[in-house]
Amino acid sequence: MNYLDYLTSNSEQILFLTQAHFLVVLIAVGVGSAISVALGLAVSTGEPDPPRFSLDWFAAGVREGGLVFTAALLTVPSLALYALFLPFTGLGVTTAIVVLVIYTLYTVLRNTVAGLTTVDRAVLESARGLGYGRLRRLLTIQLPLAWPVILNGIRVTTLISISIAVVGAVVQGPGLGILLINGISRIGAANSFYQVLTGTLFCLVVAAVFEIFFAIVQRLTIPRGIRV
Amino acid sequence: MSTATSETVDAQADAAVEAEEKKQGTVARLWSQHYDLVILPAIIVVGLALLFLYISTQQLDSIEQRVLEPANVLGLLRQHLVLAAVSTILVLVIAVPVGIMLSRRWARRLQGPVLAVGGFAQALPPFGVLLLMAFAFSFGPTTAVVGLTLAALLPVLRNTVIGLQQVDQSLIEAARGMGMSARQTLFRVEVPLAVPVIVAGLRVALVLNVGTATLASYIGAGGLGELVQQALRLNRINVLLVAGGIIAAVALLIDWLAGVAERVVVSRSG
Amino acid sequence: MSETTDQPVVETPHGAGKPDMIVLEGVEKIYPGSTQPAVSELDLAIPQGEIVMLIGPSGCGKTTTLKMINRLIEPTSGRILLDGKDVTHVNGDQLRREIGYVIQQGGLFPHFSIADNIGVVPKMLGWDKQRIRERADELLHLVGLEPSTFRDRYPRQLSGGQQQRVGVARALAADPPVMLMDEPFGAIDPITRERLQEEFLDIQRTVGKTIAFVTHDLQEAVKLGDKIAVFATGRLEQYADPDTVLTRPANDFVSDFVGGGAAVRRLSLVELAHLELHPVETDEAGTSGATGQGTAAGSRNGVAVAEVDGSGRPVSWRHLPDRDAAGTPLVTVPISGSVYDAVDVMLDGCASLVAVVDEEGRAQGVLHWNDLVGGLRTRQGHA
Ligand SMILES: Nc1ncnc2c1ncn2[C@@H]1O[C@H](COP(=O)(O)OP(=O)(O)O)[C@@H](O)[C@H]1O
Ligand SMILES: [Mg+2]
Repeated sequence: MNYLDYLTSNSEQILFLTQAHFLVVLIAVGVGSAISVALGLAVSTGEPDPPRFSLDWFAAGVREGGLVFTAALLTVPSLALYALFLPFTGLGVTTAIVVLVIYTLYTVLRNTVAGLTTVDRAVLESARGLGYGRLRRLLTIQLPLAWPVILNGIRVTTLISISIAVVGAVVQGPGLGILLINGISRIGAANSFYQVLTGTLFCLVVAAVFEIFFAIVQRLTIPRGIRV
Repeated sequence: MSTATSETVDAQADAAVEAEEKKQGTVARLWSQHYDLVILPAIIVVGLALLFLYISTQQLDSIEQRVLEPANVLGLLRQHLVLAAVSTILVLVIAVPVGIMLSRRWARRLQGPVLAVGGFAQALPPFGVLLLMAFAFSFGPTTAVVGLTLAALLPVLRNTVIGLQQVDQSLIEAARGMGMSARQTLFRVEVPLAVPVIVAGLRVALVLNVGTATLASYIGAGGLGELVQQALRLNRINVLLVAGGIIAAVALLIDWLAGVAERVVVSRSG
Repeated sequence: MSETTDQPVVETPHGAGKPDMIVLEGVEKIYPGSTQPAVSELDLAIPQGEIVMLIGPSGCGKTTTLKMINRLIEPTSGRILLDGKDVTHVNGDQLRREIGYVIQQGGLFPHFSIADNIGVVPKMLGWDKQRIRERADELLHLVGLEPSTFRDRYPRQLSGGQQQRVGVARALAADPPVMLMDEPFGAIDPITRERLQEEFLDIQRTVGKTIAFVTHDLQEAVKLGDKIAVFATGRLEQYADPDTVLTRPANDFVSDFVGGGAAVRRLSLVELAHLELHPVETDEAGTSGATGQGTAAGSRNGVAVAEVDGSGRPVSWRHLPDRDAAGTPLVTVPISGSVYDAVDVMLDGCASLVAVVDEEGRAQGVLHWNDLVGGLRTRQGHA
């Protein structure tokens, strides 16, 4: 049986697992990005150098602390996080998604913070000078102008999540990782190599689908005046 | 602070404080610049302490005790570190020279594709690469090292290329203008300036390899992943928690050490 | 108050009696973490419809002063009145919607079209769409940009000068009585800047706003200002009309700041239309026959005669009372210009006299190099 034969005769299972993989990543990245962008917006400070013990000062503290903390989480091997969450969230899809969400936090938070703070000071100042309140400034000026940077963070985190999601199979999470675990536990058996190969390569298929998806989202959501 | 009523006394106090500051200057400066480095070890210590506190309240059965025996854990830790260290060195030995080669004029056209492929390859699961190596060769640590090396190669290569790209072009022109050959420029200007980036690449490689090495146990190469596997196999929650905690702590600690090394190198190279 | 009261006021360009639109009373700003006030004990009153130029070396508190007027920066102490109303404690965002604000870098919203940029404040004030669009077109027209070409563009598709015009239009959108401008032309190349300044004066003639205008360029201050407020670190050193600042600096700081070029800069304040010029007569080209000229030459002994073309524009000197007419190039300057422009033309054309011409290009009079210097002296004596 050659590889093509394997693919065709197992196309249903492969398609199903690829879709599951896609969905798990989509949900995790969606949830994680929502959390990170919301947090980034909440802790964005109006002033570059806020006075001590003000709300802005507190927000700046949360922001820096949050970045250090989520960056540290990113260095924790996924197997360890899956192991640590298993006792609480059980075997299956919940643990798989929770852990993935944790890994998406840093990149999106960092890009949100960077995008919001690198908005041209002159633009912000003139917005203030024209009578824009803080919330209006944040939502109609800063967020749209930071959006390309934020979106790129989401894109990168998606690519990383695709490869991490594979390990979720260890805790019986859905997706292409199941092919890897099956293949390696049946090593020597028929098609076990093909299974592992497929589990690995189809991650790239999922990635390609996401890249197309992001290209479309970019086109639709980045304001015309700042599109490159 | 000072409650002195006369301004002169205040001024003297200020002067004294200033002198004091000068004396303790280096320590104070180091502290003020790097106080954040204390945070992570503190978190690790507190986390591990909580974990052990919890475990000490639990009645461990004989199976659990056997798995969590210090000798067992330390042996796996040693395997883990060897896997990560060897593969990291291999990654650097391959990726950095290739990265430098790609920065040469005749190879520059390849940079774009390498960066694009490297970016996309982030989606390629290291777990899969590792398992494929096991099929291609055999089970065991050697194969694991090859797999780890391959999995980390593209990300680090990507970092090196970006790092060399960021070297200020005017500096290179200045060097060439002073009559340095392309070769001299590379080794005296470009590479030293790119050292911080190469070190950052080292850190990336290390973190990636420490992480992927946890999966090496799936191809019989041992390492701390073995603890997780055993816990799952034996269905022991306590072991699972300890294993997860230890792996997380080790990874954080290694990243922290790499971060310290990075700062030292960056401050040395100005 | 300011030094105006202590100094003899010379030639106040606008009569007193206009109500003050912007009043700062004992305003002080100490930034947190700083012991030195950035602005201290500032009293300043800007009459309605006038342009007041805030000038001074970098870091002297001009921007701080300006931003306290629309409360982008909260004063540490003191009062600010707008049109007689104390605005020190009103809602800052509401206040700012009623004050135009233009900054150096333009600050246009890059993701808004030009029309949307201009419509920002009207939209917040709840105008309907149709009215906002009409207003945007009207303002684009006013600042010299063709609405049909520019309204749907985005800021990055405009040059720096064009962006700055849109910035001015945006500030004018809701027709605020007061405008604050912080070095609006500071980042523009000199040629464009000069044109923008001219246009700005034109616009001001139509809209008649009360304007506080920060600059670090004395030339600009003299050209645009009805009054100039000279700042030294945090303090107002002199507040007077441009002529007074140039000719009677209140103290050493101001005279240092105004510098050695004061006399030359002052030339740009003297409008040719206000000068008594030497008379000039004209002959049509080709009528160089003997008939009329004999008699004319006698009576024209002290009068310059220019040869003009068919439409009455002087082309060359036919007769000059005290020098060789053929060897003197004929240069002209429009009567709407200043003495500064006349000097410029003379130096440029290597001519010791210049024909002052009206809008149709017809000679109205002659200005001599020597007369000019003497004339200025006399005027100063009169004042
Ligand atoms: N946000 C700020 N915080 C602290 N100090 C400031 C701030 N803005 C300005 N300053 C200080 O206040 C002084 C006046 O600044 P500014 O009004 O911007 O001067 P100008 O506009 O005349 O160049 C300067 O010494 C400046 O350093
Ligand atoms: Mg300023």
